[in-house]
Amino acid sequence: MITYFLRRTLLAVPTLLVVSFLVFMLSRQTPGDPVLALQQGSGTATTDYASIELQDQAYRKTATFLGLDKPQFYFSLLPTAYPDSLYRFLYPDKKRALKGLIAQFGNWPRIEAYHQTLVHTERVTYQLPDTLAPDVLKSVRTALRLLHNHYQPERIEASLQDIHDQIAGVPQLSEPLQVLRAAWDAVVADQKVYRNWIPAFRWYGADNQYHHWISGVLQGDWGKSYLDGSNVSTKIAGALRWTLTLNGAAILIAYLLAVPLGVYMAVHAGKKRDQALNVLLFMLYSLPGFWIATLLIVFLTHPEYGMDWFPALGYPPYDPGRSKWEAFWLSSYHLILPVFCLTYGSLAYIARQMRGSMVKVLRQPYIQTAYAKGLPKSAVIWKHAFKNALFPIITLFAGVFPAAISGSFVVEYIFSIPGMGKLTVDAIMAKDWPLVYGILMLGALLTIAGILMADILYTLADPRVGFAKKQKT
Amino acid sequence: MTELSNPIQHPRLRNRFLSQPIARRAYRVIQILAVIALLSDFLANDKPLYCKIDGTSYFPVFKQYAVQLGLSTWDAQFVTKRWSEQSFEVAIWPPIPYAAHTIDLKNGRFTSPLAPQRVEKLSRRHWLGTDQLGRDLAAGLIAGTRTALLVGLVAMAIAGSIGILLGTAAGYFGNNNLRTHPFIAFVGLVGLGWIWYYWMVSRSYGLLEGRWLQQVLTALLYSMLFALALARLNRLLQRNGTLRTTIRIPLDDIILRIIEIVSALPGLMLILAITALIKNPGIYDIMLIIGLISWTGIARFARAEMIRIRSLEYLQAARVLGYGHWRIIRRHALPNILTPLLISLAFGMSGAVLLEAFLSFLGLGLDAEATSWGSLLNMAKSNISAWWMAVFPGLAIFALVLSFNLVGEGLSNAIERTTP
Repeated sequence: MITYFLRRTLLAVPTLLVVSFLVFMLSRQTPGDPVLALQQGSGTATTDYASIELQDQAYRKTATFLGLDKPQFYFSLLPTAYPDSLYRFLYPDKKRALKGLIAQFGNWPRIEAYHQTLVHTERVTYQLPDTLAPDVLKSVRTALRLLHNHYQPERIEASLQDIHDQIAGVPQLSEPLQVLRAAWDAVVADQKVYRNWIPAFRWYGADNQYHHWISGVLQGDWGKSYLDGSNVSTKIAGALRWTLTLNGAAILIAYLLAVPLGVYMAVHAGKKRDQALNVLLFMLYSLPGFWIATLLIVFLTHPEYGMDWFPALGYPPYDPGRSKWEAFWLSSYHLILPVFCLTYGSLAYIARQMRGSMVKVLRQPYIQTAYAKGLPKSAVIWKHAFKNALFPIITLFAGVFPAAISGSFVVEYIFSIPGMGKLTVDAIMAKDWPLVYGILMLGALLTIAGILMADILYTLADPRVGFAKKQKT
Repeated sequence: MTELSNPIQHPRLRNRFLSQPIARRAYRVIQILAVIALLSDFLANDKPLYCKIDGTSYFPVFKQYAVQLGLSTWDAQFVTKRWSEQSFEVAIWPPIPYAAHTIDLKNGRFTSPLAPQRVEKLSRRHWLGTDQLGRDLAAGLIAGTRTALLVGLVAMAIAGSIGILLGTAAGYFGNNNLRTHPFIAFVGLVGLGWIWYYWMVSRSYGLLEGRWLQQVLTALLYSMLFALALARLNRLLQRNGTLRTTIRIPLDDIILRIIEIVSALPGLMLILAITALIKNPGIYDIMLIIGLISWTGIARFARAEMIRIRSLEYLQAARVLGYGHWRIIRRHALPNILTPLLISLAFGMSGAVLLEAFLSFLGLGLDAEATSWGSLLNMAKSNISAWWMAVFPGLAIFALVLSFNLVGEGLSNAIERTTP
């Protein structure tokens, strides 16, 4: 059996790796520039070349610090049309434009030549004295900077034509512009689109972004929040405490109430009260948590309807003067409504499962035997039937727990409890991506752990499961 | 070969299902809501159904469809003046003479359904109250019915097709029954890989332009065509004996692994993250995301059903008769799987409806144009005293979710009783 557990755990590792890869790739598809997000938009519009260079240096420094100057993965399967080192282009907009050009024309040497000519031309415009033709120079510089981000041929053509029309009065610029024009024409004339159709395998080794990210994740370094620069792991740990408290309480109460209820229903199976309870539980199960939470907030937390019985906030204001006991009571008082919202759904689910499991056991011949021996009803139900019916209910825990956590999203958000749910929604609304992907990764970890736990509990409860699987493979 | 096909008799199942009073009522509720969704423009609209102005008859609600389709345009008098201010000779109004987006300035700032309202006629009363801007809640609920059912249906259509396809394939072929020549397997792998490579990597230009949905669907179409052609070729070559040696393809293991990975992604968090990634998520994006994430349960169910059915005698008989895989799956296996699958589709519908409502409740889902029960409920948070904004939209969500759950439960009872 131990070997089965070991094997099952080992099988989860590749799943985890694939999931981590998916989360990583999703994080790299995020719109926006992480470097600018970290610099907090400190870059202002500058006019002279020196300060542009300075800005560029600062940008490169931040990007290197974030590890963005490295290849994304151990290897790449990009088309042969791509150069080995497109990852060295740091600006996402520029990279995007280059990718667009490659996808359309497929001829990297020409595209690179065009790009370098563009950089050179831009530098020429800054080397000319401003006094020469201030308005023209300014607008040409802007046009050239924007040209870096264009990849649609018609827009590039239009932009080049536009610049050509503007510089009629500045002869110093006409020659560089002609060179640029020629470079662009070469890109268009010498297309090698087919090079996009053939994948090329390129090996980059361990010094890549994914490797650094995943080893950071494994060592507990989950990155830094864009908002306040604090560690993602600290933020998550703080929030997780609330979520676990909330869900621990809710699941405990749900089990304590649901198990006797399920047994009661099973003993009276088929009678009117069982049917009534069944319908009631079904309705409870279908009640949307966010609706009930909203209703409770509207009706029970404000004097508006004369029922101002509970606080609207899910946690008490911090006061160091309070004794532990007082603090505990106050927190409990604040947590009553959220815990209620979390409890009723799992309660209904567990009670229905308990009923089903118990009904099945009560039909077994050995229960009949026990009755036939003349044992009292309570002894048969609790000693013979209940023990056997309880096993599948314990294994439910592994499924109930992840469901409860995603359910507590809603409740935490509505009652403003600083748990995982509120953290996630706030992070998404504030576009704090490192935090979002940290949470996503943790969620995946928890789900996989839940599935693993369910499997193991299942095998413990019913050893045939594990061995059956073993025989099959 | 009809005698081979159906061990579960559909009329019997239908009777069993409808003989349960609760399930029957839940089914009726869904039917009524579906009718409301279909006729929503005729039930709540700021335009009259029929009207007569200066001796000319108009059917503005019908004309609205023509205008939306670009077949017609509004006359100038209707564009410059609000519908409620026109002077009609005769006008037949819908039961609720407001559309979901109609702003009634006189009854703005959360007018209660019980409070006196500034309306000319009783028929123009806001029976369920209004929101901050004076939009009628009843009209909003009717428009929301359409959104909820549409999201549920499309999401389940997507999840259902993926889940049934993968689940039945995994269950039918298992690990040992899909055999092919190594050459064909190689060509298939390379071909499929290249099709996806071409549409996702080589044509990344289109992805930059935001055409990802089109490209994914095109790639899907091409890979299906390619797989079909390859299967044909495989059979042809095996029949005439060119390819004798075969290897087995562990399809079951492959598909199970995919299911495991997709279900390991925390659904709600992933959906939240993706809706934030898309610039302006519209209703179709939401449907697609919900569908692409919630197919795993259906696939698991379809696989289990298929494994159960595979060993039944009638299917073995079909195999002995020498029918092809495709024919057996399509004609003999699928009809019998679909009935039990209705259970997981019904529960899936309730899940999708709930998810859409929750996303709009958070304000992360739909764009501002679409009215959803969730976004109506969300307004209750900003004004506590507007109890009607909290009660009615939630009641609608609850009714639909409960009905789908009850139908699913009723179906599973009916099937349990029909199959021995």
